[in-house]
Amino acid sequence: MARFIGRRLLLALVTLWLLATIVFVIANVLPNDIGRTILGPFAPQESVDALNEKLGTNRPILVQYVDSMIGIVTLDYGDSYVTGRPVLPQLFEAIGRSAKLAGLALLITIPLAIVAGLFAARRRDKPADRAIVLLGVTSSSIPEFVTGTILVVVIGVHFGLLPVLATPPADSDILTQIRYLLMPATAMAIVYFGYIARMTRAGTIDVLQSDYARTATMKGLTTSQMMRHHVLRNALIPTVAVIAVQIGYLFGGIIAVEKIFNYNGMGQTMLFAAQQKDIPMLTAGAIVIGIVYMLATLASDMTIAWMNPRIRLDAER
Amino acid sequence: MDYSKLDKVRQTTTPLQLDVVESFARGRLSRREFIQRGAIVGLSMGAIGAVIAACGGSTASAAPGTAAPGSAAPGKTGGTIRVAAQKPSGPLDPILMQDLGSYGTTALSFEFLCTSDATEPLVTLAPGLATKWTPDATGAVWTFDLRQGVKWQDGTDFTSADVVATMERLVESGNSGLKGILEPGGAVAADANTVTFNLARANGNFPYLVSTFNAQTLITPVDYPTTTTLDGKPNGTGAWKLVNYNAQTGATFERNDAWWGGATPLDAVELIYFDATGPMVTAYQGGQVDYIIQFDVLSGASLLNDPNFTSVALKAALHRQIWMRTDTGQFTDKRVRQALALTFNRPELIQQLFQGKADIGNDHVIAPVYPYFDSSIPQREQDIEMAKQLLADANATGLTATLHCGQILEIPDLATLLKSQASQAGITLNVEVESLNTFYGAQWCPAEPKDPPCSGAAELGIVDYGHRATPDVYLNSALSTKGVWNSSQYSSDAFDEAFKEFQTAVGVDAQKAACNKIETVLLDDTAISVPYFYNFLTGYSNKFTGAYSSGLGQIFLGSASQV
Repeated sequence: MARFIGRRLLLALVTLWLLATIVFVIANVLPNDIGRTILGPFAPQESVDALNEKLGTNRPILVQYVDSMIGIVTLDYGDSYVTGRPVLPQLFEAIGRSAKLAGLALLITIPLAIVAGLFAARRRDKPADRAIVLLGVTSSSIPEFVTGTILVVVIGVHFGLLPVLATPPADSDILTQIRYLLMPATAMAIVYFGYIARMTRAGTIDVLQSDYARTATMKGLTTSQMMRHHVLRNALIPTVAVIAVQIGYLFGGIIAVEKIFNYNGMGQTMLFAAQQKDIPMLTAGAIVIGIVYMLATLASDMTIAWMNPRIRLDAER
Repeated sequence: MDYSKLDKVRQTTTPLQLDVVESFARGRLSRREFIQRGAIVGLSMGAIGAVIAACGGSTASAAPGTAAPGSAAPGKTGGTIRVAAQKPSGPLDPILMQDLGSYGTTALSFEFLCTSDATEPLVTLAPGLATKWTPDATGAVWTFDLRQGVKWQDGTDFTSADVVATMERLVESGNSGLKGILEPGGAVAADANTVTFNLARANGNFPYLVSTFNAQTLITPVDYPTTTTLDGKPNGTGAWKLVNYNAQTGATFERNDAWWGGATPLDAVELIYFDATGPMVTAYQGGQVDYIIQFDVLSGASLLNDPNFTSVALKAALHRQIWMRTDTGQFTDKRVRQALALTFNRPELIQQLFQGKADIGNDHVIAPVYPYFDSSIPQREQDIEMAKQLLADANATGLTATLHCGQILEIPDLATLLKSQASQAGITLNVEVESLNTFYGAQWCPAEPKDPPCSGAAELGIVDYGHRATPDVYLNSALSTKGVWNSSQYSSDAFDEAFKEFQTAVGVDAQKAACNKIETVLLDDTAISVPYFYNFLTGYSNKFTGAYSSGLGQIFLGSASQV
């Protein structure tokens, strides 16, 4: 297992280096005078030159690249061009907010979707199965921003049951925070419910049709015994892989949902950085999101390897 | 007319002030225009009231704000107002900030020499840190008397040295409003409470340049060098002290007990930052904000009919310019430009796009809100037959052109309506709606070629312009020869002369005369078409009173209270 994790971490580092390089190239390939962008169109050229000198944006591109890579390794991502403050604390705030939102969305989605998927698989082609499949397809077909808007108008404005802005007041307790995040998390959960439920259903049906499941039934195991000991562990492997990808996606920020609920998670932070050509923030943000993706995928691979020893053995070979 | 009262004022005024008083007494200025112009040339509140009374008018609510900005608001004390504001897109550096979000946040703590008047906040000045300002006879030297007894939030005294230091920093940073008007060393401390501005050339609108309408001219302490930020070093003379700031989410301010205007009725102000108007509106509807600094008719239509929301529509110079290249392409013949402008049904545009909340435009940038607007110039109206005739005369029948615009507010809808109206005269407009970055960078004013500026612009497009208390920026940047935003590449000696005349004019008659020339030339040349000047929309929950905003992101809450 240690060798397996080591290989995955090594691959993750290479991927991160590639990601950082791509972001750097994209950010610098566009003609852009950073000093002019920050100081505005009316600032004298001397001030613009002085600022470019201070920021180091007038140096040869290769020097800037090497510096940027060293900065990534030493966790020195520089200061934001917009706020003039170090980017990492700002990014950690944003990723913290995204983590809360994504965490709540997953907390709502995963148990519901897995239970629904298993329930549907056990009743294949019966009305309950068809209803769950239809619900899943429908819910995943409606974009988050539509669901979010409907929730805002109906739950937030018309009935006034929940806050329409997702950012809770400073120092609020956990229950208040959940109350503020419930609507955007629900909007996201509705979409991902469909994916996960259908994946669970398909995986379970596949396992239920396998020889070992049939053998288990014939040797007299009860349905719940069979599900616990033979089906769940194998049926949920594809579901775990899907959840891992969704985690990275959710942390990366659902811009539409964040915009509707005026929530400053990673999505809004990155969009704002892109609009303002805030390259340090953009680079660091891409790296942080990349790391989250890597960790989520690694966790998923490890979970799958634990669930299915054949995968682990394959990797070690 | 009570000549004895009038004479008393006449005896104490400078020649420029006298000119304004006489213009009002002889009926050449309306009461509203007199208050605006009187405030600019530094007539005291008492003098303005006395002149109005002497001329037979009521002095009720005549004079701009006196002791503190904002009218006294009878209401409860205590509480917090939650304000929906635009998110700052840069550091809160009072000297270098460039966006409405930063303007609004910094102006809660820092103050201007001249502030916006509560009754007409978009055009009329009121005393801020200066209690009085007086020009000399030429309009090239202005003396500002500073408010006494004002303290910075760190406990030190506010003096003329702070004003001089701020002005030096502004000049050094190339402040767009003061450029060419105030030079290094131009601001001089006559004593601890008086500053004299020796201008590079006469300017009749100088107080506007040290007011809310030149947002970077917030007065900061001597030891507040450029690049210092409000959140990095909280201070100010204003009503509110910054408690915490998060560039992404918002800011909180608490009452400054030492404010010169006295104790504010409210305890605190909470700014909540947004990227767009839509979420601001839903936040208000969901009961999470009390005040929206600015919204538009398209996304805020529901607010206009909300009985619990006080929506305020202020006449403004906010407008769109439809530029036509005068140097190259299909619009070099002014008859073609006039023909296109003649196809526009302006009242219909105003009704459809703004529910009537706009003034009609006449293809020049002197908005009706300005005191020197000349309404005697004939209004251009839709005339399809005339348009067809002009096109035929210019051999341009069946003209086809691409109309470029950015994806912002009502502009794409405006482009579609213009396309429909132009088609009545046989003009085919292909509308290209682009992202703002693409539009500004590639169509409106591309960086290359640099000389003349904007010479890489498209031949036809629509660009947005924000409110200005005076039209100098529009005239200088968009229309003067080699102006930095001159997308139409318009170059006219007659216009350039008229603009120069306007800038140096210090008397009412002289400014009106210059504007008459400007309006006439621009209407005839039609390098740009301006179909409307839309209202600035702001508003707040009926639970509050006494708050107002300037049109440039600043909000004045010194007298605001809960009802």
